[in-house]
Parts: sequence; structure tokens; C-alpha cells
Amino acid sequence: MARSRTDILQGTLDLLVLRTLSATGPLHGYAITAHIHRVSAELLRVQEGSLYPALHRMEQAGWLRASWGITENNREARFYELTASGRRQLELERESWSRLTDGVGRVLRYA
Amino acid sequence: MSFIHRLFNLGRSTRLSRDIDREMAFHIDERVAELKAGGMPEADARREAARQFGNRTAQGEATRDADVITWLDSVLGDLRYATRALRNSPVFTLVAVLSLALGIGANTAIYSLLDAVVLRSLPVPQPDQLVQVTLKDSVGSAGDGDGYFTNPLWEQVRDLQTGMTSVAAFGESNFNIASGGEVQNVRAEMVSGEFFNVFGVRPAVGRLLTPSDDVRDCDATAVLGHGYWERAYGGRTDVAGTRLALEGRPFEIVGVAGPGFDGPWVGREVEVYIPLCGIAMIRGNRRSLDSRSSWWLNVIGRRDAALPVEQVAARLQTIAPAVFGATIPGDWPADMKDSYATRSLGAIPAESGLSGVRDRYSGALAVLMAAVGLLLLIACANVANLLLARATSRQREMAIRLAIGASRRRVVRQLLTESALLALLGAAIGLLAAHWGTQGLVALISSDSSPVSLDLSLNRRVLGFTVVAATLTAFLFGLVPAWRGTRVSPQTAMKADARGVAEGHGRFTIGKALVVAQVALSLTLLVGAGLLIGSLRNLVSVDPGFRSNGVLLATVDFRRSDLPTEQMSQTFRTLLERVRSLPGVGAASTSDMTPISRSSWNNAVYVDGYTPVNFMDGVAWFNEVSDGYFATLGTKILTGRDFNSGDVVGGERVAIVNDAMAQKFFKDASPLGRTFRLKRGDTYTDPYTVVGVVESAKYQSLRETNSATVYLPSSQNDAPGASVTFELRSTGDPLALVSSMKRAIGDVHGAGTVQFTTLDRQLALSLQRERLLAVLSSVFGMLALGLSALGLYGVMAYTVARRRNEIGVRVALGADRGRVMRLVLGDVARVIAIGVVAGSIGAYASGRLVASFLYGLEPVEPFVMLAAAAVLAVVGFAAGIVPALRASRVEAAEALR
Repeated sequence: MARSRTDILQGTLDLLVLRTLSATGPLHGYAITAHIHRVSAELLRVQEGSLYPALHRMEQAGWLRASWGITENNREARFYELTASGRRQLELERESWSRLTDGVGRVLRYA
Repeated sequence: MSFIHRLFNLGRSTRLSRDIDREMAFHIDERVAELKAGGMPEADARREAARQFGNRTAQGEATRDADVITWLDSVLGDLRYATRALRNSPVFTLVAVLSLALGIGANTAIYSLLDAVVLRSLPVPQPDQLVQVTLKDSVGSAGDGDGYFTNPLWEQVRDLQTGMTSVAAFGESNFNIASGGEVQNVRAEMVSGEFFNVFGVRPAVGRLLTPSDDVRDCDATAVLGHGYWERAYGGRTDVAGTRLALEGRPFEIVGVAGPGFDGPWVGREVEVYIPLCGIAMIRGNRRSLDSRSSWWLNVIGRRDAALPVEQVAARLQTIAPAVFGATIPGDWPADMKDSYATRSLGAIPAESGLSGVRDRYSGALAVLMAAVGLLLLIACANVANLLLARATSRQREMAIRLAIGASRRRVVRQLLTESALLALLGAAIGLLAAHWGTQGLVALISSDSSPVSLDLSLNRRVLGFTVVAATLTAFLFGLVPAWRGTRVSPQTAMKADARGVAEGHGRFTIGKALVVAQVALSLTLLVGAGLLIGSLRNLVSVDPGFRSNGVLLATVDFRRSDLPTEQMSQTFRTLLERVRSLPGVGAASTSDMTPISRSSWNNAVYVDGYTPVNFMDGVAWFNEVSDGYFATLGTKILTGRDFNSGDVVGGERVAIVNDAMAQKFFKDASPLGRTFRLKRGDTYTDPYTVVGVVESAKYQSLRETNSATVYLPSSQNDAPGASVTFELRSTGDPLALVSSMKRAIGDVHGAGTVQFTTLDRQLALSLQRERLLAVLSSVFGMLALGLSALGLYGVMAYTVARRRNEIGVRVALGADRGRVMRLVLGDVARVIAIGVVAGSIGAYASGRLVASFLYGLEPVEPFVMLAAAAVLAVVGFAAGIVPALRASRVEAAEALR
């Protein structure tokens, strides 16, 4: 069975999460997947299995800060927010992403 | 998340897992809610959500790992990287690790000795409750007081004591267990009935001594120390009930003390315990327990847990009048009786037991601890210097790391990991070295006659000390180089060669400052070592008033023979004649005591026309000797005659005095024919006539100024003891006389026992502490010198390498080689000069620290100071000459490259 959704490219998950948090402010894991799903016009779907390890890894790296908070539905959830170093990381990843797409684009066009 | 928090996570992973579980459960619930909102039934929604999420357990583990592993990973990564970095520069690593191993090892060795001798508590239950009861001159007198009690005093304290749950007295002595021939001693402790109770010792075999064993006319019972039981009896459990002969008297072994407890003395392992009353049996004299002026017992009690030591002392004070009032020595002069009655009792903490080793060596150990501390600082400075140089050569690497986005803090952490690894390696090697070193140290303070046994097994405190020392060291030498090393702009990475013509060398770099510190610290150490070596030299070369080399000392004891007292003199006389005819014996004599032994005998003397200013001023030191004593020892007879066969019991009482006695009491260099009397209580003996004057000889210690000494002829003693010492002046090696001496004793009487030593060894023994200090401080001084030379060489070599271009320009402009060399050596001179000036403050302090160990030297000796500075200068220039030569060989053309 062919996959109808695009898997997220290895290494871009960080970029997507960082960008999402920089655009929205603190979010919990579920909201992050939902946001990426929605904003990408349902083209991208974050694998739940890789989301949480990634979130915790980024937290360790100091890019994210996490804390328990209450959702609108009055439920307890772990909220993630961007740190200053996370913002810097976002710029780095954004840059390398655009270089990558630029490079890939050129190859497709001229090769 | 903080470091602590991460460690916390490692330990309490359940909590982290629960957090992650909650987080994932929330996620699935949200998905279910969304699917339900889209019209899916609850059960299906749940299944679908779970399917989408995948394996929840695996997910949870992956998440948890991300937390823990990321952190561990970065640490492991740092470590891996550090290992690789160190392996890539083996010479640097070797020098750094060995420097640190030296510093940390020396510190650990001295510390473990300090710990064993001074700091550690006795291995008994609640050691903090132990208090030592002491004697004070009066109620208000300062200080801890004296530890030694007489048996009558102890019996009063035992019966009247207050503030303690139990209290015990004990006296140490060595007893011979051999049946004849050469003496074989066991270290014994005579203990009162409560002894084992006070220390909370349990028996390993049989039973221990109790108050019912410690009564007058008690049975001859003994308890073995655990170590001795294992060594001498192979740990046999059927030992109880067997007999052990102490000085020829059988004692029944009733049990063995439990393991761990080596007796109340740190450094002296007790092998056999007998009741206090046993002393009467061994001495063959029931009255020895009643002697009111024989001070041989220490008293330790277990205080009431509710009473602090001060209150115990206060309570003891209240019983003091009764204790002393009941035990006044009857034969003392009236004024001394009065002052005796007003003495008092005190109490001091005895948590770590008593220790002769401690009394003798705690000061020396403190000095050595200070020395190794300095050594470690010097080693740190060395490694810091190496790291600084290395940091400069790694500037590009650092710049690249910073340029590709590493934070400075991250790079500093990486560099500190390298430092920590170095310190860790150094500590590991140092710990090994310390283990060997400490054994050697104990051998240095031990002797055949009083072996020092210390528990030197690696304990938590010593290990902790090493770890703390290593950690502090790593930060001490690592932080500044790491901080400075990462202070580079990323652009540095882009430059092909970061070195400009005159870039980056100030007149005074941190590297040079570190070397200055090394020089200053080395000077401090060297001056201390110089003072201690000088003192030892002074002590060794002081004229003791006798020639010690080639003299064998044999202490012969006929106590276990059946010889009646009347025949004692004649037996010794016969033996002396035999000894004199032995081949290889140049001269021989006997005496009651030998010089610089631990025994002494003093008495107040009365000389017409001399009024002492106080009691001690009227005291002279005594010895009882045979004819030929002065000839054998090589003490010159200045005037008059030696003792001879005419000096017999019943004849005129004669004496020979030394020069100091003649000058002090008789105020006459030649008091022949004059008389003196001995004070006995309130009365005086018959007069003694001076028949000779001999040169003054050291009596108890090489340090003493000549003390007034009186020699009495043993031929006039009508109640001689059963033991005398023979002096044999050998024409060759004195120890070669041992076997013929043993044979001679056997020929005269089979039950004689003998103990050998040489006068040289006896002298050396008295200087053991001084030798320990001199040897170790000079070893540490040398090491410091070596490390500093290495540091100086490193900095100069590095400076020259950095200034190659500049030097090339100078040469191109016409500077000749001599000038270039002077340029570099001038730098060396400046560093040494500043170091010496700074170090003179430290040298002053080290002089003060060792002041109490000095002999014939002042704490501030300009000569020692100058010599130390000169040694430093010579070694420093030697270290600087290679870089200077290298600088002088720089070609002008190099400036152009």
C-alpha cells in the first residue's frame, strides 16, 4: 500500500519543532503534531514515535524548556517552549535547510 | 535541566518514566478525543490512536534514553575526545601525569600516615566517649596534664571516680618469652579489670580479663592480642588453657581479644594482656604495686554519655584532694609532700587512643604535610604551564570549534574534561605509589626494639582525600588555561599563520608568572629542607663525649637464674674478664646505663658551697660503671684516675664526675678529693669522694647541653641488679662479636639472657625523627627543584619558539649570538630573581614551621637562604641554557620566511 502522507525527512523534525514553537509559543507534544499537520496543509505528519525522544533530546541540548501546565480542557500536559539558544539553533537549521533545498533545486534544474 | 537533576534522573529513573508515561497518555487521549469528534466510536478511536502512536513502551524508553543518554553521551564523548587528544600527544601526557602522580602520591602517602597516627579514632564502639584521666600540678594549672599514674593513685581513682561509667588503667612493658639465650620480647600491656569493658572489646576465643582477675595476689592469667594469636599460634582455638612463659613465669592463657582492637596505643600493637597484679609476679616483688613514686599507668575511662568532657574533669577535681591525700609518698622531702597533696585531676578526650608515635611524630608529619602541599602546587603550576602552551598550539582547533557553533562554555568543559582525565590518571598512579611509599615511611619511623604497626589499609578517608586533592588539582591547573585557550576569535581559524612578528608575548606572561610561583615555592621547600639537613648534620657531627663507632652493647640479664644477689657481682665480674679476653675485643666494660638510651637516673646532690636555685638545679645525672668504661667508650679522663680493684664495698665511697659537674657544683676544673652527698628524702647519704674528672658526654640526647653527671663504681654496689649492659669495643665489625659473646654468657651461666645493639645504632635511633624529616624534606625539595626546572625550561623553550621571527629580525639587524643568548638568559634571571624575592617570605614561614626541630641553626639562616637561592639559580640557568642556545642559532633568514 502506497503511503499517502510524506514522512518527515530525517533531521528536519528539529527544524519543524523549533519553528513551530517560535511561531506559537509554549505548546504540548500533541499540539505540536497538530500544528505541523495543519500548517503543512496536512502534507506532513509527525511520527509520534520519534516526536517525544526528539523533544527530550532538544531539551537536553538546551534548545527547549519544558514544564507541566494545564490545557484549555483543564488537563495536565507537558508544555515546551523555545530558549534563546533554541532560537539561535532555529536560525542555523533554517539556513542549512535553505542551502539544502537550494542545492537540491539546482541539481534538479540543471543536472 | 541541571547537572544535579540529571544525576537525580539516573538514580530515580522511575520518576522520569512516570513523567514520560503521563506525557504520552495525554497525547493518546487527545488523539482519541479528536477521532471521536470526527464521529468514530470510543473503542475504535482508542485502537486507532494506539496504532498511530506505535509501541508505547519502546517509545517511552527511547524518550527516556534521550534524556539520560544525551547527557551521558556528551560526557562520554568528552571523555573519548579527551582520551584521543591525550593519546595524540604522549610526551605532554606523560610529563603531566607523572608530575601529578608525584604531587598527589606524595600527598596521599603523608596523609595516610597522618590519618593513621593522628586523626583516626580507635576501632572501638563509641570512641568519642573515651576520656583520658590526667594529673595536673594544681587545680588551676593550664594544659592537659601528665598521663602517668602510680598504682596507689590509680586505686584511689578507681574507687572514688565519678562521671564515668567505667574506667581502666594500663601500663606497657616488653616481656621476654624465650627460655634462655637471646631475648625474644612480646609487647605486653598490664591492664586493670575493667580494661576490656571500657574499650568494648569482645573475646574471639575463651574469655577476657575481668575485675576478678585483677586483685592482689591474683592468678597468673593472660589474654592474647588477636594479631599475635594469628601470627604466633596460627589462630588455633584450643589455645585457651595453655601456658605462656613471661620472663620465665608461667601465665595461663584464658582467651583471645576480638579482631580489630590492637590495644590502646596507636602504633604499638599489644600482643599479650595480663592483669595489673601480674607485674608483682614478674618482678618477683609484691610491693611493686604499692610504690607511690613509680609512675607507669595510663588511665582511660568511658564517660557518662550525658556528661561532656569538661564536666567529667570538673567532677574529677572534686575527688582530687582525697585521691592525693591518701597516697603521699612517705620518703619524699616535706616540701614535695606538700605540693603533692595539692595536685589535681583532669580529663581530656581520648577518642583516638594514646600514642607514643603520635607524640613523637605529629609535629614532623605536619611539617611534611606542608611540604607535600607545596610540592603539589608546584606540580599543578607545571601542568598548568603545559596546558597553556598546548592551548596556544591548539588555538586554531578552538577557533574552528567556536566558528562552527560550539559555545565557549562547551569548549571549556571539553578542556576541563581533559584536565580531569589527567588528574584522574595522576591520582591513580599516585595512589599506587603512595601505597608503597607509606610502607617505606613506617619503616623509617620503626625500629627493631619498638616496631611501629599502623593500619595503613586504604580507607574511605584517605581515598576521599585523594579524590578531593585530584579534583581540586584538576580545576587549579585546568581552569585558567581552558578559559584563556578559548579566548580566540573565530577568525583565527581562517588565518594560515596566526603568528605576527611581535604578536602575543608580553614581558610577563601567565606562563612566566607560574614559573615565578614555582621558584618561590621551591625556595620555601629548599630552605626548610636545608635547615633540617643542616640540623641533622650538626647533630651527627656534635662531639658526644664518646666514640660510638665499633661499640657492641649487650644487655645481659640473670634475673631468671637462681643466682643469689651476693654472687651477682662476681658473676658479672667473671663474665667481664672472659669478654675482655675474647679475640676481636679491644676493651670492655659494664654499666648500668648506656648513653642516649631511653633510660636515665637522676638524684639531687648536696655539695658544700653550692646552693641550687630550684629542685632541678640541684639534680645531677647518674650512671654506675665498671673500671675501663671510659677507655672502652673513648671518653677522656681529664684528671685523676679511673675506678680500680681497690674500690670495694666497705672502702671509701668514690665517684668520678664529668667536667660539667665539676664546673657547676664544685666551680673547680679539678675537684679531686672533694666530696658530695646524695639527697634521700629529707636526709643525705654518706659522702662520696671525687677521684677523677672525665670529659662531658651526652647523657639522654644529643641535643642536650652537657649535663652534670656522676659515675659511681659498680664494684661498690652492695645490692647489684640482675641486669647490666656490657660495652665491647671491637677491633673490627662489632656485630661479629655477637656469637662469641653469646657463648661466653652460656659458659658463665646457662640462664642468662642477652639483647644486642650497637652504640651507633642507638645514636641513630635517637635521631630517627630528624633523619625522617631531613631525608623526606630533601627528597621533596629535589622533586620541587626538578619540577621547577622543567617548568622553566618549558616556558623558555616556548617563548623562544614564539619569538623566532623577532629574534631573526634582531640578528638581521646585527645582534650577535651572545647578545641573543643574553636576551633569553636575562629573561631567566628575571624570573628566578622575582621568584626568589617572593619565596623569601615563604622561606621565612618555613623556617618558623621547622623551628622546633632545629639544632645549632636559627629559623632564619642567611647562609641556608643564599645556598637555596644559589641552587635554584644554577638549576634555573641550566634549564634556560638550551632554549638560549637554540635562540642564538636562529638565522637572520628566518625572519623573512
